[in-house]
Amino acid sequence: MNATRWVVVGALFGLLVVGGAPAATAELEGTNGCQASGAFREGGFTVDARAVGDALVVVPRSDTVDWQGSVAAPPGAYSGSISVELPKPFGTLEIDSWAGNSQTMSNAGTHEYDLPSLVPAGVEFTVSGSHVDQNGTCSGSVRMEVEGGPFDSPLTAVSLVGTAATGAGLLALLRPLLRPVGKVM
Amino acid sequence: MNVGRIIGTAVVGFLFLLFVALDLVLFGVLALNSVMVTVLPLLGLLAGGALGALVGKRRAAG
Repeated sequence: MNATRWVVVGALFGLLVVGGAPAATAELEGTNGCQASGAFREGGFTVDARAVGDALVVVPRSDTVDWQGSVAAPPGAYSGSISVELPKPFGTLEIDSWAGNSQTMSNAGTHEYDLPSLVPAGVEFTVSGSHVDQNGTCSGSVRMEVEGGPFDSPLTAVSLVGTAATGAGLLALLRPLLRPVGKVM
Repeated sequence: MNVGRIIGTAVVGFLFLLFVALDLVLFGVLALNSVMVTVLPLLGLLAGGALGALVGKRRAAG
């Protein structure tokens, strides 16, 4: 392998290490005294938005969550949303939003979910949320992952076949480069 | 210079590194919101185009 190839391989490895570094510490920040938590029944753990920090939360593929949230004062007109962060520069994908007018300072409920098998397991993603009311704002994010391995989703097989097929195509297109000069057909 | 070959190799290079990026995400090496998921396919596009041009030169030299 010549020097140029080593430089290219080194640059790719460096990009992978830097680009693959975990996101900054996640936490709940706000000016309206917000607080939220969810207890996963099957998973047997509770996620407190203020205490989670940069910990990676691994959630079961299906579970029932007892959730609750509150603010320090009657909110009045309020709105908010929760999103999954996509690769830069694609922004976020909103998965839920809310808006209204209320004097109630807390809310709670139970939500049962069952993620389809297409949702990949073992993939780290960041969920971010924000809430705005008449007393201020509240925002935060948490690093999450669905419990399981890469082959729990059919997407992995599709991706591997795609890698092999395009890799073979690329090799075929670049074959003349692999032959000594003078033997090109 | 064979423009068709350059474009073809660039597109295949883009798709190859797009699938590699997807593999890295699915195997938990990269986070979903990693900038590398965007950078790798673009790198494939550029490198594919450059290598396609090299192939054209090599053919012309042969």
